[in-house]
Amino acid sequence: MTIEEQTRTVILWDLPVRLVHWAFVGLMPALWWTARNGKLDLHEKIGMTMLGLVVFRLLWGVVGSSTARFASFVRGPAAVMAYLRGMRSSDSVPIVGHNPLGGLSVIALLGLLGAQVTLGLFAQDTDGIFSGPLNHLVSWDTASTMSAAHGLVFNLILLFVVVHIAAIAFYRIAKRDNLVGPMVSGRKRFAESIVAPRIAPLWRALVIAAIASTIAVWLAWGAPPWGSPFPWDKPADVVDEQSYM
Amino acid sequence: MKIWKFAFIASAALSTSIMAAAVVNPVFQQRQDNFKGLGKAMKGVMDEFKKPAPDMAVIKANANVLAASASKVARQFPKGTGPEAGVKADALPAIWEKPADFKLAASRLVAATRDFKSASATGDIAKVRVAMGAVGQACKGCHDNFRKPRS
Repeated sequence: MTIEEQTRTVILWDLPVRLVHWAFVGLMPALWWTARNGKLDLHEKIGMTMLGLVVFRLLWGVVGSSTARFASFVRGPAAVMAYLRGMRSSDSVPIVGHNPLGGLSVIALLGLLGAQVTLGLFAQDTDGIFSGPLNHLVSWDTASTMSAAHGLVFNLILLFVVVHIAAIAFYRIAKRDNLVGPMVSGRKRFAESIVAPRIAPLWRALVIAAIASTIAVWLAWGAPPWGSPFPWDKPADVVDEQSYM
Repeated sequence: MKIWKFAFIASAALSTSIMAAAVVNPVFQQRQDNFKGLGKAMKGVMDEFKKPAPDMAVIKANANVLAASASKVARQFPKGTGPEAGVKADALPAIWEKPADFKLAASRLVAATRDFKSASATGDIAKVRVAMGAVGQACKGCHDNFRKPRS
């Protein structure tokens, strides 16, 4: 048998994981730009889309394909240390999915994104004129603190994005492992026989997407009926939020 | 060499602290606090509008704050408290270049908040909402011409 015959190509990352990942990549600069240029109405819309995607990814981490599930890649510090020690040897067992360190990075990035969209729900601008959809449920001072945190968490996200990209470059150069390719195509070729990931059916992704977008829309409406009236019960706005800045 | 370096740093630090202490006109803090109070009261009212059941008592309390704070605006921009004072502020030179226009804009806010206060006293939410629209327009009237655009 030649080496070629032994390699196995499997679907490593399912379509939902890849779509969500690249949507994050596209939406982050858009969120930065809209915030920077005072286009806060657009910022809110994109932010709520981001929130929907984060909710989707969290749920998909419970019911999605095996490589998407938190249970399959969230490991303790001992596993991370063992992975780091084994990194130098070339004859280590192939890891199908996130390695223990990469799993931590997923948790950090998703956690930061989750914190960021949550803060954004309550944030407000300097005048308290343009504000997130749940801003009216907290005081001015609380909202100001959360707005400041919204700016701080953005910097943390930037930091982790840099770490993320540096790690990808490290694997590419030092370990000759292309991480970007599989995140685009979903496929990865392994040099030896491995247990292929279980890929969740697409209908399940659609159900989860419906749940996630319902949550996002509900929050964008101000959490009716408790936080706000439903849009169809709302009197017309006398003061447009952009009209008096 | 070292002693000169030390002397330079020490004198720089000293002069900076003297300049900082060189009495910043308290009006800067007062007017910024006043606008922050206006902002908080605006949020207080707008929040009630967004809730399923607006609390008229909260709106009334904020209406009082708005009217009281609005009446202070016009006299919180005395000569010498513009950009030339070197204090970080968003007030544009137009305030002092076109004093009549600024006075007019400030008086519109006073009138709008007074109307809003009387509307809130009636307890009629429809009237209150209309009156709030005029207050918003008065805020905008000033922000458009007399305040640095927000980045």
